[in-house]
Amino acid sequence: MAQIDWDQLAAQSRRHRLIKNSCLILFLTLVSVPVILPFFWVVVISFSARTGGVESAILWRACAVLVPAVLAYGVAHLTLPRIAHRLLAGAGILGLTALGLWLSVGAELHLNNYRFLINANLIEDIRGAGTVGGQFPWVWTAFGNSLLVALCSTVMKVTVATLAGYYISRFQFRGRNGFLQGLLIIEVFHPWMLTIPIFLVIYWVGLLNTLAGPILVLTAIGLPFFIFIMKGFFDAVPWDIEMSAMADGATRRQAFHMVVLPQVRPGLIAVGVLGFITGWEEYVFVTALRTGNSYWVMSTYLYYVAEDVMGVDYGLVAAVSVFYMLPSLVLYLACQRYLTQMKLGGIKG
Amino acid sequence: MAEVELRNLRKDWDTATAVDDVSIKIENGEFLAILGPSGCGKSTTLFMLAGVYLPTSGDIMFDGARVNDVEARLRNVGIVFQSYALYPNMSVLQNILFPTRFQKTDDAQARAHEMAELVQITDLLGRRPSELSGGQQQRVALARALIKRPNLLLLDEPLSNLDATLRLSMRAEIRRITRELGVTTILVTHDQLEATTMADRVMCMNKGRIEQVGSAADLYLRPDTLFVAGFIGSPPINLIPPDRDVLSLPDRCHTLGLRPEALRVSEVGMPATVLSVEPMGREAMMTVDTPLGDLRFIEATAQPKYRPRDLLRLTFDNADTILFDAKGQRIPEAHATLKETAYA
Repeated sequence: MAQIDWDQLAAQSRRHRLIKNSCLILFLTLVSVPVILPFFWVVVISFSARTGGVESAILWRACAVLVPAVLAYGVAHLTLPRIAHRLLAGAGILGLTALGLWLSVGAELHLNNYRFLINANLIEDIRGAGTVGGQFPWVWTAFGNSLLVALCSTVMKVTVATLAGYYISRFQFRGRNGFLQGLLIIEVFHPWMLTIPIFLVIYWVGLLNTLAGPILVLTAIGLPFFIFIMKGFFDAVPWDIEMSAMADGATRRQAFHMVVLPQVRPGLIAVGVLGFITGWEEYVFVTALRTGNSYWVMSTYLYYVAEDVMGVDYGLVAAVSVFYMLPSLVLYLACQRYLTQMKLGGIKG
Repeated sequence: MAEVELRNLRKDWDTATAVDDVSIKIENGEFLAILGPSGCGKSTTLFMLAGVYLPTSGDIMFDGARVNDVEARLRNVGIVFQSYALYPNMSVLQNILFPTRFQKTDDAQARAHEMAELVQITDLLGRRPSELSGGQQQRVALARALIKRPNLLLLDEPLSNLDATLRLSMRAEIRRITRELGVTTILVTHDQLEATTMADRVMCMNKGRIEQVGSAADLYLRPDTLFVAGFIGSPPINLIPPDRDVLSLPDRCHTLGLRPEALRVSEVGMPATVLSVEPMGREAMMTVDTPLGDLRFIEATAQPKYRPRDLLRLTFDNADTILFDAKGQRIPEAHATLKETAYA
């Protein structure tokens, strides 16, 4: 048997690993650019634009600092094997980036675009009180309404989806399979197709121009999907545990509360976050279910700012966008590890 | 502690009968094992005793009172599941205390520690179930099942998730604990060794019916049916259609049972050719070709003397033969004898 040169093989493997990792990091960086750039742009505009014009030069100057910083971190990640060293390098690069940004664009930044947060009569100040006559609300009113819609529909979705998912997961009943297939079939049709019938139903029950309308509609539209997700989580909780709790003296309801529910907590959080975000960002139904300006939510506020009032003030639009994005973003970042655990339960189960 | 009785118990599912006409009386403090292959209805019987399933017909009696309609949580039965079914969101101590949350118990904490001491897990009380080994989880499950001083302790394949060494020690351990407490215990298992080593009596089930109830020795030496004969014993019994040219036995005998260890080498006997030898540690199992057919034969030695194609002569005591009729029932007090023609 020929002598094997282990050192040479090791060097070869190391080289392969380095090339593979570099390619991977480069690829991931490139595909994330189109996703991240618009958000970055909006943030930059919201802090830098002055009445009307968009200074794209600021964006390019900021990018001139950020791109080398990202590349430098990529290289540091590839060449430093120890996590502690990587963190140290990352912190150093972050500091340098902040310094670079401050030097290149720092003088251009201002908070004037965020004046809508403290000025209740924004439009009147810009256009004069006569034009819109106090119809346009303060942003916090819209914020409160959006919060109300999102929270109420989330609470209802989570409650109903949890109870329904548990029942479907645990009990055999006539028409169970048909029910499950029905849930899936509903998902095939886009809810916007139902806008007119939904409008009529809401009109007939007298909930038009109230927040209860969008809350109920959003709950109904979201439920099939959420029921399926919760069923998947309940399917993963073994029967034994529930039987054991009941043999230990618990009633079925106590067993559900004390033993089963704590184990589907990731599911509750996932459904809650998704439900909140869909309620928070809803535009179609909140617009369709009001005639005139009976209520404002964040999405209609943003639309009004962008289209009706200040067609040209991109700074203000960008600032409102950032403010609108923030709650979803924070919530998503805080709970993303729960979202990745979601799975759909099968029909059979 | 209770005396438990099943009367003509039956459970039908949509497509099949899981338990069919099971009647047995279990004495106060007795340890009964229900033994059978998977799907024989043993777990269904257990869950009916626990109150999880409702029987289709028949009665379940605790101390002479019918408990069919009593809910599981009110029966005061402790169960240890095969999966242990510990509550992952609670610590070991909380797990053990769980049953006391539904009863008026003044000394719950003291009792929990007493139970932890009994099953020797006092140093694990603060941990989560996921941080425990299989054997430790088993002990926690046992402590939880015992803390409410159950009328009846049910063990559903409690040892099958443990490795072989641990199984051996837990077997003795569970036996010690149930004896110490004097609790009536029913063990469900498909492992004959588990059943025969732990239980006072073994109830062997097949296809929802009781095949035989008796001591380990009864089942081994005097199996009532062909099924019991074939199920109990490892390596399994030789079951052969008798050749009346070489055997003299009653006319109605349809199958002859002969345990592998009943055969022995002798000067005078039927000729046998060794086909294969499988060393099993303490002994060796051989397959031999004889006038009766191919037989399993155990040679009680760690170092096998014979090799394939060796010739030897085998004989057996007539009393060791077990005869079955055409229905698979044992023919009592009947035995087979080798004829002279077999020696040729």
